[in-house]
Amino acid sequence: MFASVTSVALVGVEPQPVRVEVHISSSKPCLTVVGLPDTAIREARDRVRAALASSGYALPGRRVTVNLAPADLPKEGSAYDLPIALAVLAAAGQVPAGVGHVVALGELALDGRVRPARGGLAAGLLAKHKALPCVVASESAAEATLAGCDRVFGVGSLAEAVSAALGELPDRPRLTLPAEDVAPEVDMAEIRGQMLAKRALEVAAAGGHHLLMWGPPGSGKTMLARALPGILPDLTEGEALDVAQVWSASGRGHPSRTRPPFRSPHHTATVAAMVGGGSGIPVPGEVSLAHRGVLFLDELGEFPANLLDALRQPLEDQRVTVARKGATVDFPAALQTVGATNPCPCGFMGDRLVACRCSVSQLDRYRRRLSGPIIDRFDLRVPVPRIDRPSLLGPPGESSEAVRARVASARRLQVDRGSLNSALRRDRLDVQVWESGARHLLERAFDLQEISGRGFDRIRRVARTVADLAGSEVVAEPHVAEALSYRGEWI
Amino acid sequence: MNDERLRLAFVGMHPTRRRLLLEKHGSARSVLGRIEQGAEKVPDHARRAAVVPAGDRREELTSAGIQVVFREDLPDHLASLPDAPDVLFVRGRLPFEQGVAVVGTRKATTYGLRLAEQFGHALAVAGWPVVSGLAKGVDGAAHRGAVAAGGVTVAVLGCGPDRWYPAMHRRLGESILEANGAVVSEYPPGTPPSGWRFPPRNRIISGLSAVSVVVEARRDGGALITAKSAIEHGREVLAVPGDVDRPTSEGCNLLIRDGAIPVLGAEDLVAAISLVLGPPATVAARTCSDLIALIEPIGRTVDWIVEQTRRPVGDVLADLARLETAGAIHWTNGLVVPGSRVGG
Repeated sequence: MFASVTSVALVGVEPQPVRVEVHISSSKPCLTVVGLPDTAIREARDRVRAALASSGYALPGRRVTVNLAPADLPKEGSAYDLPIALAVLAAAGQVPAGVGHVVALGELALDGRVRPARGGLAAGLLAKHKALPCVVASESAAEATLAGCDRVFGVGSLAEAVSAALGELPDRPRLTLPAEDVAPEVDMAEIRGQMLAKRALEVAAAGGHHLLMWGPPGSGKTMLARALPGILPDLTEGEALDVAQVWSASGRGHPSRTRPPFRSPHHTATVAAMVGGGSGIPVPGEVSLAHRGVLFLDELGEFPANLLDALRQPLEDQRVTVARKGATVDFPAALQTVGATNPCPCGFMGDRLVACRCSVSQLDRYRRRLSGPIIDRFDLRVPVPRIDRPSLLGPPGESSEAVRARVASARRLQVDRGSLNSALRRDRLDVQVWESGARHLLERAFDLQEISGRGFDRIRRVARTVADLAGSEVVAEPHVAEALSYRGEWI
Repeated sequence: MNDERLRLAFVGMHPTRRRLLLEKHGSARSVLGRIEQGAEKVPDHARRAAVVPAGDRREELTSAGIQVVFREDLPDHLASLPDAPDVLFVRGRLPFEQGVAVVGTRKATTYGLRLAEQFGHALAVAGWPVVSGLAKGVDGAAHRGAVAAGGVTVAVLGCGPDRWYPAMHRRLGESILEANGAVVSEYPPGTPPSGWRFPPRNRIISGLSAVSVVVEARRDGGALITAKSAIEHGREVLAVPGDVDRPTSEGCNLLIRDGAIPVLGAEDLVAAISLVLGPPATVAARTCSDLIALIEPIGRTVDWIVEQTRRPVGDVLADLARLETAGAIHWTNGLVVPGSRVGG
């Protein structure tokens, strides 16, 4: 009177196998679920009972114990409805025990239909790993297929799920996902003028650097930031899977399979929404949703200090650790940040036409908030002044596609170094080939401009990227000189 | 007449002694005669040097690219001084306008070096020749700043004009000549840098200048000699204040206590000198860098500069960074503005 079905739980974004075990004993009729279930899982009892009845099966009139093993791993959500129902049917002998040789995931409706649940991709990954068929709601089938699982059954009802699990449905050909045709939100060619910022975007894209732009309202900071994903190279298959895993874990639909994601959280977002969190088991936040893509922080000066503090780890380590009651997990966060801010609270400081209305104490507060360690994470900082009229009328610039080609070849040069230039450590920077003129200029800049040690490395990293864009193995004086231009003394 | 003055200059005696002898005996010819007779004691090599015909000397000088300028042909502000040199050896082109001396200790701190370079730069951008002694430390930094701005600068040496002392400043010296500046000395070619030859040359530095700026000086530093002769010449002396307990600032602080004008930065310096020399000439007319001319006077966006120059934005940015490192421009709210940020 025992049966089990494999399902999956997410720890961070990693799939963990969960065995759904069902035991039926002769005792007073009841159904209990053990194994650290949350409220949604406890409610599964009622959904499973109704769904079984609606599908023409009956819940045995005996004691049914459901255990979600390993028992100490916290589980949550409605995704275990389907595996529980399958295991109950097998344990009760209503269907053959072979029904358990699947990875199953899905929520049950009271009428026996199967609804999609969070973690479809994880189910696919686990099924591939265990070489089992994967049974999920038809809406989740694409996600599971993305994981590379060959035998994915997208089912609409519990009855269909039983047939699929028993191998009664014909093996479907592997779902081929339609090719994507994604145009970037903003093409570089649409942006007139702002040569400095556009070039900085190109350098940022080529080296994976965080970029900070400041300027008055209406100067085009947001548009520039939105152009960044368009000049990043296509995601590799592995990267696309990484991204999909995070998005799947957060319960959001699946992102583009070829283009890097772009996230733009508002400055009123909570810390949990930003870096990940939640009440029980942590879910990924915006920094992880932007994994392999771009996180745009508009109005950086308006972000509260605790939020900026929380961003420090992911921006530095490319991952974020979130500790919650349920579990402590690591989420990936290899992202590029684009920060945009006004030069002062009213936004018009230094503008040639509009006077700034900020008081000295306001300015002081504003700068102090932005001068902290978070600013140090931005390798490139450029001003974005209001555009001159002639530039608005000028010819369109280069297309994103042309820039993307340069970025891609610059990135290829970085492969041998083991990481993008933005993540080069000091010892790796030291062993790069610095032409003597480059060294001389660096030393001069260091002496004259009172650059900090961290700032020194920042300039060297950017110079390395500028050299890569020029296709040069040696970092020469012009590369360092250009890199110095992105140092952007903060106001 | 001038032949004898040239031959006398090649004797290479102490400038003060030569001046006193000329005053006492009336002409170079009679002084040379006394040397030949042994009435004036000079070392043997100097005696031999005195008898080489002036024609041979002129040939030597011409082939070495060195001009001879007699006192009456010197710029008035130098020639009119009671202790003006009788003969000056000049490489390059000696500017006729009055310059600004930027002098200081050889063992300068980074503070002093940074300021000297900024000063040299700001003065050159304003169009005034920068005069100094090509020594290590402050002198070299001042020359460097001026050269970086493409300005005219004059190095007054304590050895022959054909030698670079210190040797490490050979390239700097050559870049001064390339930038239409001058390297001058009252000592004949071949003269080694002996310690006693340096204090007299300081009067030439101050003599070529309307104003002498002492950036950093010790209590007994050579820069104070320049300041002293500037005062004797009736010229202004400016000094950069420093920590009262720092030896490299003691000389400057003493000068300020005794009435020198304190300098509060490059902008302040240019403003103070404008009172003496009149407002600076427009940069566009002076500088070698078209870029600076383009940015003058209000500051420009990068877009504008790129459009005007029709060059790749990366190259323009690199040039701007070089100019910024040299203190010729800085950024303010996204605009490129002439002048350096620190101290104007």
